[in-house]
Amino acid sequence: MLDAIDKTLLKTVADLEGLPKGAYNIRKNGKLLSRQVSANIDIESNADGTGIIVTVKPGTQNESIHIPVILSQAGLYDVVYNTFIIGDDADVTIVAGCGIHCGSSEPEGHAGIHEFQVGKRAKVIYVEKHYASGDGRGRRSLNPTTRVFLAEGARAEMELTQIAGVDEANRVNEADLGPDSMLLITERVLTDGEQSAVSTNNIVMKGAGSRANMISRSVMKGNSKQIFYATIDAQNRCFGHIECDAIIMDNGTNETMPSLKAGHPDAELTHEASIGKIANDQLTKLMSLGLTYDQAVNRIIQGFLK
Amino acid sequence: MLELKNVYFTIPESEEREGGRRSIINGINYVFEKGKFYAITGPNGSGKTTLAKLIMGIYPLSQGTILFKGQDISPLSITERAKAGIAYSFQQPARFKGITFRDLLTIATGVDDERKLLEILGRVGICPLSFLDKEVDARLSGGEIKKIELATTIAANPALAIYDEPDTGIDLWTIGPMVSLLKKELAERRTTTIVVSHNRAFLEAADVVLIINSGRIVYDGNLEGAMPLLDDLSVCTYRDSCEGERDAGCYR
Repeated sequence: MLDAIDKTLLKTVADLEGLPKGAYNIRKNGKLLSRQVSANIDIESNADGTGIIVTVKPGTQNESIHIPVILSQAGLYDVVYNTFIIGDDADVTIVAGCGIHCGSSEPEGHAGIHEFQVGKRAKVIYVEKHYASGDGRGRRSLNPTTRVFLAEGARAEMELTQIAGVDEANRVNEADLGPDSMLLITERVLTDGEQSAVSTNNIVMKGAGSRANMISRSVMKGNSKQIFYATIDAQNRCFGHIECDAIIMDNGTNETMPSLKAGHPDAELTHEASIGKIANDQLTKLMSLGLTYDQAVNRIIQGFLK
Repeated sequence: MLELKNVYFTIPESEEREGGRRSIINGINYVFEKGKFYAITGPNGSGKTTLAKLIMGIYPLSQGTILFKGQDISPLSITERAKAGIAYSFQQPARFKGITFRDLLTIATGVDDERKLLEILGRVGICPLSFLDKEVDARLSGGEIKKIELATTIAANPALAIYDEPDTGIDLWTIGPMVSLLKKELAERRTTTIVVSHNRAFLEAADVVLIINSGRIVYDGNLEGAMPLLDDLSVCTYRDSCEGERDAGCYR
């Protein structure tokens, strides 16, 4: 059922050696490949068959859901709409990811539109990795959209990673925070060659006492380009922070636009942004510990994107 | 074990004095002996840190030769000098994102075994275990990052350890134990130790005090003999040429 390429893609995007434990839904080339539900987690196809609805029962503790997507069919652009309904007081980890293997000159792509409705006091960790491989010269594009709605006291931690090989990425993250909820987004994107990636983030702080922290780490190698937009719109007493750092290697370029809107007198919003080459003192320090220049560069980038 | 022969380091002059070069290190000849503790001191801007960085290869020599264990290391890179057994503790240590103290120790020692790392921590003594997985980033206090810097230098088991102002940002109560630690390493491993410092605790601990002024070694010997000169150096030597508003070139 899983061939060698599938296995490699699954290992890379979802850390899976084979089929996962717990609930899972594996989608291959636009079709369901394999699915398993658990006592507390239900997965069903949505009405028009364009994606899945994952429902987590209230109070579910320490369970995981794997929903990887693999693409290895030339010329396919797969669009999927997934909805996650996380019950009150649940605590779950969702591992998503898309691996593309492109063996021809035809383009391949995936757009995952993921919506999260996180119940009161529920906690969700969402891990998403994007990766493309293959010798084909077809363009590989990944255009994910993530929409998060956090109820009172809910908490979401989102780790969004684009590892390598993706020619074009256009990511949109939207979040709507209820009272005392908390959102932590960490986005890591590595581009190389002629690749480009755009990330647009809109975080709306609606509830009193909500907290948001958006961290972005970008590395541009070759002639690649990344653009990062992040807006925190504070409509209540809240705390929001944007931290975006970009490391330029070779001839990469970057535009970073953090934006803070305080629509409430008790909003506390901060941002820090930096773009530049690897700092010389970091390189010198690692070389003084015995690493060569190239090893030091790799080690610094590896840590930065960790 | 370390010999400086006719060492010079010059940099281009500032814009208003176009074309010329300014000497930072001005012809230093000196032999450091194995297993001895040296303290390098002198006024601000005298060339202490520059000399230390020339030994590590962070700055290139403008002229002269550096021999380490009999080998000419002048053409060697920082990496090659590190591999040859020289370690350097920076006055302003680099801060990273996503690199922990554990990572730095592993890079410095090649050891990633938990038990052995804990042994190293025990040996350097001044780092609580909770430090190990701390990121070496901007959140660390000045004192914490200096302890990490010192620990990675010692952990590398160098034949020659250079510490540039190791007491910067360190609280008064830690300086005594820090001096003892360097002396213990020296006694047990015969680590040749060079400390750039103004702190009396290091000057007192040293076998040899070197005073550098205007890029030259103007004294080497014990602390007692250095005292009159140190007192004298605290007095402005540019008074005669100083014209108040105009720069007399004292670099203070």
